[in-house]
Amino acid sequence: MRIAEGTGANAGDTLSICSLRVGTGLFGIDTRQIREVLGSTAPRRVPLAPPYIAGVLPYRGDVLTTVCFRALLGMEKDSKTNCVLVFGDEQSEERFGLMVDGIGGVIAVEPSALEANPSGLDARSQELFDGAYKLPSGLMVRLDPQRLRPSRLAESGLFGGESGPIGRLKQERQGEQR
Amino acid sequence: MASDVGLAAWTAFGLGLKVVGQEPDKEEVEDLTKEFLAESQEGLERMELCLTELEKRPDDGELVAEIFRAVHTIKGTTGFLGLGRLEKLAHAGESLLGALRDHKLAVSTELVNGLLELMDGLRRILQTIEATGTEGERSTDNDDALLARLAELKDGKLAANGVPPSQDRDGEQLAQSSGRDAGQSAPPAAVAGVAAVAGPTMQDKTLRIDVDVLNRMMNLVGELVLTRNQILRCSPGAGNFPELARRLDSVTAELRENVMQARMQPVGYLFRKFPRMVRDLAAMCRRQVRIEFEGQETGLDKSLLEAVRDPLTHAVRNAVDHGIEPPEGRAKAGKPAEGVVRMRAYHQSGSVVIEVSDDGAGISTERVLAKAIERGLVTPEQAASMPQREALQLIFVSGVSTAKQVTSISGRGMGMDVVRTNVEKVGGSVELESQIGLGTTVRMRVPLTLAIVPALVLQSGGQSFALPQNALVELVYVPQREAEQTVERMGTTELYRLRESLLPLVWLDRLLGLEQSADKAELGFYIAVVELEGCRYGLVVDDLKAPEEIVVKPLSSELREIGVFSGATVLGNGTLALILDVAATGARAGVRPAAEDARVVGAERAQAETAQREMAQIEMESSMVIYETGESGSAEDEEGGRMAVPLSAVERIETVPLRDIEYAGGRAVLQYRGELIPLEDDGNVLHALAKDEATAFAGDAGKEGATATVLICLRPEARGVRRVGMVVRSVLDVSAGRLLATNAAACEQQLAMVKDRVTMVHREFAQQPGKPQMAILKEVA
Repeated sequence: MRIAEGTGANAGDTLSICSLRVGTGLFGIDTRQIREVLGSTAPRRVPLAPPYIAGVLPYRGDVLTTVCFRALLGMEKDSKTNCVLVFGDEQSEERFGLMVDGIGGVIAVEPSALEANPSGLDARSQELFDGAYKLPSGLMVRLDPQRLRPSRLAESGLFGGESGPIGRLKQERQGEQR
Repeated sequence: MASDVGLAAWTAFGLGLKVVGQEPDKEEVEDLTKEFLAESQEGLERMELCLTELEKRPDDGELVAEIFRAVHTIKGTTGFLGLGRLEKLAHAGESLLGALRDHKLAVSTELVNGLLELMDGLRRILQTIEATGTEGERSTDNDDALLARLAELKDGKLAANGVPPSQDRDGEQLAQSSGRDAGQSAPPAAVAGVAAVAGPTMQDKTLRIDVDVLNRMMNLVGELVLTRNQILRCSPGAGNFPELARRLDSVTAELRENVMQARMQPVGYLFRKFPRMVRDLAAMCRRQVRIEFEGQETGLDKSLLEAVRDPLTHAVRNAVDHGIEPPEGRAKAGKPAEGVVRMRAYHQSGSVVIEVSDDGAGISTERVLAKAIERGLVTPEQAASMPQREALQLIFVSGVSTAKQVTSISGRGMGMDVVRTNVEKVGGSVELESQIGLGTTVRMRVPLTLAIVPALVLQSGGQSFALPQNALVELVYVPQREAEQTVERMGTTELYRLRESLLPLVWLDRLLGLEQSADKAELGFYIAVVELEGCRYGLVVDDLKAPEEIVVKPLSSELREIGVFSGATVLGNGTLALILDVAATGARAGVRPAAEDARVVGAERAQAETAQREMAQIEMESSMVIYETGESGSAEDEEGGRMAVPLSAVERIETVPLRDIEYAGGRAVLQYRGELIPLEDDGNVLHALAKDEATAFAGDAGKEGATATVLICLRPEARGVRRVGMVVRSVLDVSAGRLLATNAAACEQQLAMVKDRVTMVHREFAQQPGKPQMAILKEVA
């Protein structure tokens, strides 16, 4: 993240963006933010977890929590192919995985091609997307891994699950009824 | 009192790491400083111990010399590192100690206080150096008052006024604490508080390891690398693959054991600070308290040691402050004026138990109950019928146990919920025992290590879960054809009759919202009976897999919040399994701990439950493991030496390769979980097995060695319990029954009736060890 911000100041340099496919949509993430790409995997589902959690994966001796991007977009959870991107650095940051349908090639784009989120966007998309690149072939929505962190998704409470503040309130009410 | 030591000269010294002479590498100085800090901390800890000892044995020259050495070492190094402030203080202390060593001064409480303050002063500066890298430059960071005090002590001004400790210590302590209240010098309360609350220092983060242990680890790592190389090179299906895999297995196991050993620290490290704390607390509360230790050498994982540090501090503070009565009160009760706080550590069935007990007034359950009623936690009727043990546990309930409330009603409970929370966080438990007039015992039970846990892997709704074995009581299989009759319903709750007591059932797949597998209907199901923190229920699962020793990995915070899982682990087949949190699973399913149940449901139910539990206990006590000691049809006994031991005494039944049994001084011993346990072989089974093996090997040299069955038993002894292994020919059965009345004339050993036949109960495990006893075990269909 820090590196990305640093180079953001050097306007004019092209950015290499890794393109992702989810459903019919095209998304992109700065390659420097991606730690590793894992091929087709089947994360271990976690019962009672928020719907946007695809499950957990063994990764470098740790347990990696994986976010399902399809679920975040409100699509069917299952797809024929999948691919997990790993984010987060060794020390401080929270490490997590993002499950997408597949990844495409790396595209070089001008930073100037980026446009911020339009005002008409619904609350969920505002939360997830970080602007879009205007490519000749169409729009590529930019994603910021920092916005997709499971802890942040839980805090926002927009994506269901019982761990957000709203969810907690719900739980408490249920408890009272019991 | 305060003499005017030149402040200007002082601050000139206090400019941090001033480098003397040629400028050495900055890094080098940092390294040296680090080393110096660690060493000094250790020196100060020794000094603290010696000082409290010195008060008891004022004539011990060795102690003075030891303290002198500690201060001298600090002084020597400070000069080199340019730590002026520290040097000055150490120098003042050294000259005072020098006078003491040369018998120019006599040991008095006042002198010991002064030296303790010196130590605190040194420790404060060390902490400042560790935190900021300098000795402190603020105007408050000066030691003038302390220096002056040390100088006065050295000149004998205070010592002359002070009363020698042997004459009237009590009086002096009173005077001293009243003087302190007036604010003349640093109050000991603050000092004790600092010691207790101070965050992790360098010492908590570093660990001393024997070089031998490190060398052993290095060797093992070397072997691991070699094995890996071979495995990488070996083609799939190669003939030597099983052998390589076996070697990998043994190297890994050994390496793990070594690392665990290296992390083990004697509990004594933790105990070190308590003599001082008790001394200061006692002076403040006007009590006379002696502290005793037992089992300091008991090893405990470093991280767990840190986890029990605060709970122990709370417990000791409670014991001194609220447990032990003032001297007058004790005299009235016919007890010696000096109270005793005893800290004891020992191993018990895979966990370490640390006890803090006092011989004080004990906790009045009536007052606890009165408070609980007042706070609406129980109704008066429930309170009337509540057993004493349960009433005591109310102290742990948050809300009852906040300091002020309980201190004012029962004289105890300060931070008891903190104690429990901290200990439970690391997978331990806390018990409280108290007898009015006799004292109170706080018993903390913590696992030996956090990282690796024996667990049972089970399957539900097509997914694997791991269930920690410490919570597992027993397993019951219910075939499908019996499922209809065995599961009974009361309202929406499903119950299972387990030996005539009702067990609430929790269906794991339903609880977790898993899809129920279709073929389950034909196969029946398993009930894992679990019990933790007084919460007992049956967890219904589809299938059981193998028991495994699992490595616990933490989950991310969002998944921890679900509450049902305490972590995840990678199983032998490479898949992940979630680890069930037994207590939280029960709570989610609405199963309440027995104590809470009693509160909610009412007195009648509570009584019934207690009766039930007692019944269960009686049954437990008379369950027996029946085994054969020697060869069947041996001359002395037609039954082939059928013997029985109570099930409660048997910890595990292990199958041990014969070559793992070693001999020391003619006695067979076994290394069991890092412990050396003696083996008993009444029926000469080992000899017979060795003979068998010899003949087997003659026929087929490649054959695996023979194995022996060993019952790992806990034997009660005068001082706690001890593990022994009993070598048996074979384990026959587990059967319930009752012990026969003692009949001294009939036989030397306790007898039991098993399946309508009289069986001997092993003499060591008879109800009254040493006395001959008989027992009948009734037949179980």
